[in-house]
Amino acid sequence: MHEWSVADAVIRTVINWAEENHVKEVTKVKLGIPSYSFLEVDILKEAFDMMKKDSVLDHAELEIVIKEPTFVCKNCGYEFSSNDVKDQLDTVRSEFGEEYPLHLMPALAPSFLKCPKCGSHDIIVKSQDITIDGIEVKESGTAETVS
Amino acid sequence: MEPLRQLAKEKLSGRKIFAVMSAKGGVGKSIFSAIFSLVLSEKEDVTLIDMDIHTMASSKLFGFEGKLHEVSKNGIEPFNIGRLNLISLSGVVKNNYVILPGGNQSSVMESLISFSNLKGNVVFDMPPGLGDELLVLEKLANNYSPLVVTTPSKVSIKVVKYLLDYIEKEKGKKNVSLVVNMAYFNCDDKIVKPFGSVNYDELKYEGYSFDKIVEIPIDPKIEDYIGRIQDYSGEIKEKIKNDFLK
Repeated sequence: MHEWSVADAVIRTVINWAEENHVKEVTKVKLGIPSYSFLEVDILKEAFDMMKKDSVLDHAELEIVIKEPTFVCKNCGYEFSSNDVKDQLDTVRSEFGEEYPLHLMPALAPSFLKCPKCGSHDIIVKSQDITIDGIEVKESGTAETVS
Repeated sequence: MEPLRQLAKEKLSGRKIFAVMSAKGGVGKSIFSAIFSLVLSEKEDVTLIDMDIHTMASSKLFGFEGKLHEVSKNGIEPFNIGRLNLISLSGVVKNNYVILPGGNQSSVMESLISFSNLKGNVVFDMPPGLGDELLVLEKLANNYSPLVVTTPSKVSIKVVKYLLDYIEKEKGKKNVSLVVNMAYFNCDDKIVKPFGSVNYDELKYEGYSFDKIVEIPIDPKIEDYIGRIQDYSGEIKEKIKNDFLK
């Protein structure tokens, strides 16, 4: 269900961007989502298609790129991937179910994940935010925007 | 491009926003926020958002500790207490502790606002200090009304001046209310001020000006209502109702 909120956020942001930039038709939105949020791509696309109607996004396609974040432990310097903490992610998901905390808020990662080497919560997550990484428009070809 | 920030801004737009804040911890912001929101909700829909994402006291005050928010197509659904709607990170993380670096705190606060199904006017129970939470609030809702909470203690007043300097003198806020919590108690109809009196003339002389100053009493009975603060109807509530919102 949370995918509908994400779709809402994306649509409102792009509509505002289009207004500010006098764009009349958006053809594609490239959305980056962190893998460990486990957002359902099909539901996200369905929500996007339902909510975009009668807007500048009416004919826009949603392209989703799953970002594999890199975790860096500030305590011991160890770099690791979400695969290295898969057991920890599985534990959190089994405790909470579908709407588990990192699904709703990927930025909560340091609260639920520990460095697999030293056990510290003092970790930095690269590529943890949901970002609009590019917007394609009809009038002027491609407009790239980076978060 | 940050879709969460955009959505949070739009969700707050057009609502009256109260920010219960203090540079000092332990002055009673959460209890004041809860009762203030309850009083407001007697007349209109109100959403209380607990921005203190580390202590998450509001859910404990209302008896929602350990309970999770439902999530619908409209987003995170608040806990309902009549016309009061409560949003707390505890409804996302349950009884787990939250330990986050600074940047993540801002992101979690923005997510909490942007993904919630807000109803009516909004009261923010802010964490103590002048950190990310204050900057997030200003980014999302610069038109908020500050309710600055202190106790009469000299150290509390001194610390709270940092916040007042920032929001009054730097940001030019003219609608600041000063809430002096634990200001006195009634002892056989005699007013006792265990933490002393605030020298309001001195504050005025130093250039601070307030839209309103309200002294809130100590009511030891409040402890009996932790976990069911919605049932409280004692003198703190009466004071807020009569002196603050009339």
